[in-house]
Amino acid sequence: MSERPYDPERAIAPTGAGGAMDLAASEAETLEKTPGGPEGTGPAGKPRSLWSDAWRDLRRNPVFLISALVILFLVFISLWPSAIASGSPLKCDLSKAQEGSQPGAPFGYDGQGCNVYTRTVYGARTSVTVGVCATLGVAVLGSALGSLAGFFGGTSDSFLSRVTDIFFAIPVVLGGLVLLSVVTSNTVWPVIGFMVLLGWPQIARIARGSVITAKQNDYVQAARALGASNSRILVRHIAPNAVAPVIVVATIALGTFITLEATLSYLGVGLKPPNVSWGIDISAASPYIRNAPHALLWPSGALALTVLAFIMLGDAVRDALDPKLR
Amino acid sequence: MLLEVRDLQVEFRTRDGVAKAVNGVSYGVDAGETLAVLGESGSGKSVTAQAVMGILDMPPGRITGGEILFRGKDVLKLKEEERRRIRGAGMAMIFQDALSALNPVLSVGDQLGEMFVVHRGMSKKAARAKAIELMERVRIPGAAQRVGDYPHQFSGGMRQRIMIAMALALEPALIIADEPTTALDVTVQAQVMDLLADLQREYHMGLILITHDLGVVADVADRIAVMYAGKIVESAPVRDIYKAPAHPYTRGLLDSIPRLDQKGQELYAIKGLPPNLMNIPPGCAFHPRCPMAQDVCRTDVPPLYEVSEDRGSACHFWRECLHG
Repeated sequence: MSERPYDPERAIAPTGAGGAMDLAASEAETLEKTPGGPEGTGPAGKPRSLWSDAWRDLRRNPVFLISALVILFLVFISLWPSAIASGSPLKCDLSKAQEGSQPGAPFGYDGQGCNVYTRTVYGARTSVTVGVCATLGVAVLGSALGSLAGFFGGTSDSFLSRVTDIFFAIPVVLGGLVLLSVVTSNTVWPVIGFMVLLGWPQIARIARGSVITAKQNDYVQAARALGASNSRILVRHIAPNAVAPVIVVATIALGTFITLEATLSYLGVGLKPPNVSWGIDISAASPYIRNAPHALLWPSGALALTVLAFIMLGDAVRDALDPKLR
Repeated sequence: MLLEVRDLQVEFRTRDGVAKAVNGVSYGVDAGETLAVLGESGSGKSVTAQAVMGILDMPPGRITGGEILFRGKDVLKLKEEERRRIRGAGMAMIFQDALSALNPVLSVGDQLGEMFVVHRGMSKKAARAKAIELMERVRIPGAAQRVGDYPHQFSGGMRQRIMIAMALALEPALIIADEPTTALDVTVQAQVMDLLADLQREYHMGLILITHDLGVVADVADRIAVMYAGKIVESAPVRDIYKAPAHPYTRGLLDSIPRLDQKGQELYAIKGLPPNLMNIPPGCAFHPRCPMAQDVCRTDVPPLYEVSEDRGSACHFWRECLHG
């Protein structure tokens, strides 16, 4: 990932230190071969943890920095959309329908004569909220249940596996039509709740699998032989070694959730208009793709950029959590 | 006796049948004593150790009989929580392959320090200082600089030292080392073995050394227990065994060691294969491979005959073996 300058002084230092007398040449040699030595160890013996080391690594990873900047910007416009877009996203003028880029409306106007720029900026809040909250919910619920099932095995595992099978059998769109049509509240929360309800089994299954893999490692047995309790083994030894696939799948799922919100809105069971969201705009603009492609392009582009940023972030975090890739 | 295993029996229930991995093993080790448990793969030496530590995977494993007395108390009767507290503090284990027995995502300082955090409730900072002290004790050069390094950044010998340091952390009364040097190259093997022997003397610990390498055993062990098909076939002080084995299996093992004066000759090997644990031969389990086998060996299970005061052999013909 980022560059690691080889620091000869650090790598050789151990062999020069006192107490190395009993080292045979072979071992001294292997010591020197230690690849590059760890970067920026800082003051000798300063306590470091998995997360602080990961953070040290992330800070100088350009992939992480770029994606983090994009995400911070998204969070910013979600909180204060009026800071960069003047006017209301709901103020539309039919006489300007499908007009192209012009001063005051850099992205042009959509089929209803609404300012695409303003709507794209205001839509970020809904889309990011849906994506992030649904992903967090799915990741927390799925990985908790999945890793417990994988760790303890036996009856609880069989039970959970059957439950996930049942949830997998529910078609998402049909399930959305049935469950969300009875909801009257026009906020993002029922939509998020629905996504978590149908989304957790996927993560649970992956977490279960990677916990079972990690559980078989010798260091888990070693930790047990040295008196670690179940909870400690799960949290300290298994979770960090099993988290990578969960991060990858969760970040990809984030994009799916934002588009699923669009699909549900298109079907009329997701968010309904006074709400502004990229999903609503994308589905509203798709019939006019030949006459006014810009109205489709900008919210879709924003959606793609958001998903990309989160996937890149997830990738960078996953790599930073693996010391061997540092 | 610090640890006494009495007539331990362990079996594994699998889809294909029941594998009897340990069939009545008894051995003991005193404080300051080194017992070497010797045997081929599948002889039950590691399973016995896992049962003693309480880290046997159950199921499929099952302890069907026997007692494991640690400081006079049967640990098999303890609650899981009480047993957990003995692990690490009372008895600890050193694993064969330190690369896979150390957690790849935690720095060695974290893993060493964890012992003190878990069992002694120390702060992270104090635990870190203890970790450096331990690394110095197992003679890792530049301990203070390397405490934050990850396992893959150490050489094989250094990693095994860290594994030893982890086991030693709380100064347990008993250490079980499961083939601690098998994964290392020969020069490093000797250093690690010496270190282990030094530390054992220093702390006056009991040490159970599980190995299939007779060369390792000769220098460090006080007693040897030879295992075959889940049973102890010979148990004796180390010099007696090297002088004259009282079991044909031990003799076979000794004869299979390459020797300098044998240059050019074919190396001796015990003929045949270790028995299938789902179908152990009747009588003496070793009889199909034994050069001295008679009819009685096919029908009667030999008890552990008393060869001398501190020596036993499970062979009907131990006298012939000893003097032949």
